[in-house]
Amino acid sequence: MTEQAMVRIEDLHKSFGALEVLKGVDLEVARGEVVVILGPSGSGKSTMLRCVNRLEEPTSGRIFIENDEVTDHKTNINHIRARVGMVFQSFNLFPHLTAKSNVMLALRKVKKISKEEAEQIALEGLARVGLDDKADVYPIMLSGGQQQRVAIARALAMDPHVMLFDEVTSALDPELVREVLDVMKGLAKGGMTMLVVTHEMGFARDVASRAVFMDEGVIQEQGTPEEVFDNPQNERTKDFLGHIR
Amino acid sequence: MEGIIEYLESIKFVHLFMSPTIIWQSLPLLWKGFQAAAALLIIGYLLSLPAGLTAAFMKMSKNPIVRIPATFYIDFIRGTPLLVQILVIYFGFPLLMPGWREFATGPIGQLSVAGIDMSQFVRAVAALVINSGAYLAEIFRAGIQSISKGQLEAARSLGMTTMQAMAYVIIPQTVRRILPTMMSEFILLFKDTALFFAVGIFELTLQARTIQARTFNMSPYIGAAGFYLMLTLPLGRLVAYLEAKLAVSETGREPENRQERKRRKAARAKEASA
Repeated sequence: MTEQAMVRIEDLHKSFGALEVLKGVDLEVARGEVVVILGPSGSGKSTMLRCVNRLEEPTSGRIFIENDEVTDHKTNINHIRARVGMVFQSFNLFPHLTAKSNVMLALRKVKKISKEEAEQIALEGLARVGLDDKADVYPIMLSGGQQQRVAIARALAMDPHVMLFDEVTSALDPELVREVLDVMKGLAKGGMTMLVVTHEMGFARDVASRAVFMDEGVIQEQGTPEEVFDNPQNERTKDFLGHIR
Repeated sequence: MEGIIEYLESIKFVHLFMSPTIIWQSLPLLWKGFQAAAALLIIGYLLSLPAGLTAAFMKMSKNPIVRIPATFYIDFIRGTPLLVQILVIYFGFPLLMPGWREFATGPIGQLSVAGIDMSQFVRAVAALVINSGAYLAEIFRAGIQSISKGQLEAARSLGMTTMQAMAYVIIPQTVRRILPTMMSEFILLFKDTALFFAVGIFELTLQARTIQARTFNMSPYIGAAGFYLMLTLPLGRLVAYLEAKLAVSETGREPENRQERKRRKAARAKEASA
């Protein structure tokens, strides 16, 4: 028997009205794997990621996180979400709360951890992303890169088993991209299971254990970053890589 | 002092519209009227808040059985004059309520709130709540929907239930954002209490009208206006202050205020003279 997969997606379909965005996606992610998902905009990569913690309701297909079926409506989705960290393109920090309180909120309300303990975890988490000195600062006073690092700390504080990154550097000024990628590299080296939708080729080469190329709602090609980037087999992959280089 | 008053009273316009003597004599009754209006306002507004929040959530519901009545209620109230609503509710209430006569003539109905009979007060508050609830519902709904969808998603992705996300993430941001508008509605509602003169509730305007009818002099109205302004002016300033503060928290920038402009102007003038 093979080791149980961290995330397993089976024949995932998703339509928005008449528009079919995902047309049957199968993907298995092992524990500790870093999977980078590439593809042109509209290829369905973000939608797939958002189906994993059911921010989007799949039209059909099944998704498993460890032993639990995400797509089974009998499973308590909130319990699963607490184990699945997600970071967004637009940061989505809570603007009425300080950096520290942003990290503490779900610890207090979802995990019901005491205030002292939550504060401890929050400060450690902010230190991990290099922002312990910004604990009492409101998001509006932080740069985009700093906000995104707080968002990562907020997701990590829940002690997730897998992290989803949805184009987390796309809204950042170029000079701020690196500080966020560095945090993500550290996470990957630490053995975190990660699904990363990104256009950062350098990051993909450095840390990805697998690169997945999506287009038109299906996975067109996958393999090690070297295989996919240096020797793509699929015409669409070649075309896409030609455009972004 | 007496000479000044005598002189003022000798000017026909001043005597007819702002006679110090008549205003002074009206003060006790106007003060009573002010208390009545304030009591209607405070009780009415406080009860409008839960009513408005309920209607707002109903209107945002995906379920048409819940949404359509709320939409109808909000559109109807916002599209018709408050005076008509007051007449319908004030005189319709007794027809609808079983045992109204017993209540109105009973021990509770005979109690008075700020000088108004309970049987009148209840009906007036009902009219205010039904009216203001519709306006507040739209304020709440617009406020909640102005919070970006990403906020709810972020909260949900951390494992919060919809209720938790509302309570700790969406509503606190909404309240901050709509506080000035909510206070404007409070001010509007205060001025609207004047309409209860039409059904014979002795609020500020009816008190003024009674004195005016006795003296054939407009001054009591001006006195009443003074009482309205006593509340609306400071609150209006507070709204402006809150709006400026909100702009800071939303943009992270201090708006250039008057002092700042003055200081810069002074600095420039100094530079020019040097």
